[in-house]
Amino acid sequence: MGSFQLWLESTLSSAEPVATFMRTDWGWPAMESVHFIGLTLLFGSIAVWDLRLLGMAKRVPVAAFHRLVPFAVLGFTINIASGSTFLMTEPNQYIYNPAFHFKMLFVALAGLNVLAFYLTMFRRVSTLAPGAPTPYGAKISGAASLVFWTAVIVCGRLITFYRPNMCRPGAQIGFIADCILRP
Amino acid sequence: MFDPFFLWLESTAFSVWMRESTSIFAFPIILAVHTIGLGLIAGINAALDLRILGFAARIPVVEFKPFLPVMWLGLWLNVISGVALLVGYPTKALTNPVFYLKLSLIAVALVILKAVRWRAFTDDVMSGTVKILATASLVCWAGATIAGRLLAYTYTRLDALAVPIR
Repeated sequence: MGSFQLWLESTLSSAEPVATFMRTDWGWPAMESVHFIGLTLLFGSIAVWDLRLLGMAKRVPVAAFHRLVPFAVLGFTINIASGSTFLMTEPNQYIYNPAFHFKMLFVALAGLNVLAFYLTMFRRVSTLAPGAPTPYGAKISGAASLVFWTAVIVCGRLITFYRPNMCRPGAQIGFIADCILRP
Repeated sequence: MFDPFFLWLESTAFSVWMRESTSIFAFPIILAVHTIGLGLIAGINAALDLRILGFAARIPVVEFKPFLPVMWLGLWLNVISGVALLVGYPTKALTNPVFYLKLSLIAVALVILKAVRWRAFTDDVMSGTVKILATASLVCWAGATIAGRLLAYTYTRLDALAVPIR
């Protein structure tokens, strides 16, 4: 993975205008604030949807709560965009950061969960009558989603505590490097 | 004027633990809990506000009522984690005007939520008043979130013994 990480580093470093903005006095804090607002939109909306899948507010058809999902998608899009600006300014701090690795893993797992839900359960769930219990698979999907997005928040918070240092010469590098490689 | 209080609080065992523990269960996880609580209280309130403003209109507004306990959970998570953070860094927070702005915005948002509940969960059609309240709520939560993030960039004193940095 080391060579992929080095490639990521050089590709992400090429977005000069973004980095220039981010390095102004308020650029980085402003983008962090945007990132938090996106996460609030994403987590709040998806929590309501997941809790509905888990059986809360059963009187309302699942299909109605599904209308909240676009807000979660909006929050997610805001965070992909704002998150990318961090990557483009200080790529090493993320590419070699184990907390960031796990955060992206949980985002990927959340995405796979979404895919599985839409491929296998959505049609059945969206035609449920009000008051009908959601199928077991939908409950698992909702619970998994809550767990994954909570883990994304926790890992995101831990990023600053797992900042990578330069790799010490001669040190053993694992499959995914968690120290800054020299090209 | 409050320095003796800050000095005393920062010398307590819990405060020292918050600042100096290298355990992941100290500062990092408490910060993470604070973020999760924010997602629940501000996020679900934002979803309710957006519904009042006409988005996702097929959800009857009153059906947000069962999610109030989840919002209160978020709020309590944040009160508890917030107090822990405050005990860890009292000087840093209490000498920063932005901190008081954050708390004020949260207080206003909660008052608005109470006013919204009075109206939105009983009316069939969302009145102009409740829509204005919902907009104000969104502004307050966005402001509180931004103020919270900017605390790390606006504080002047890290602790009672530190030289002011700004």
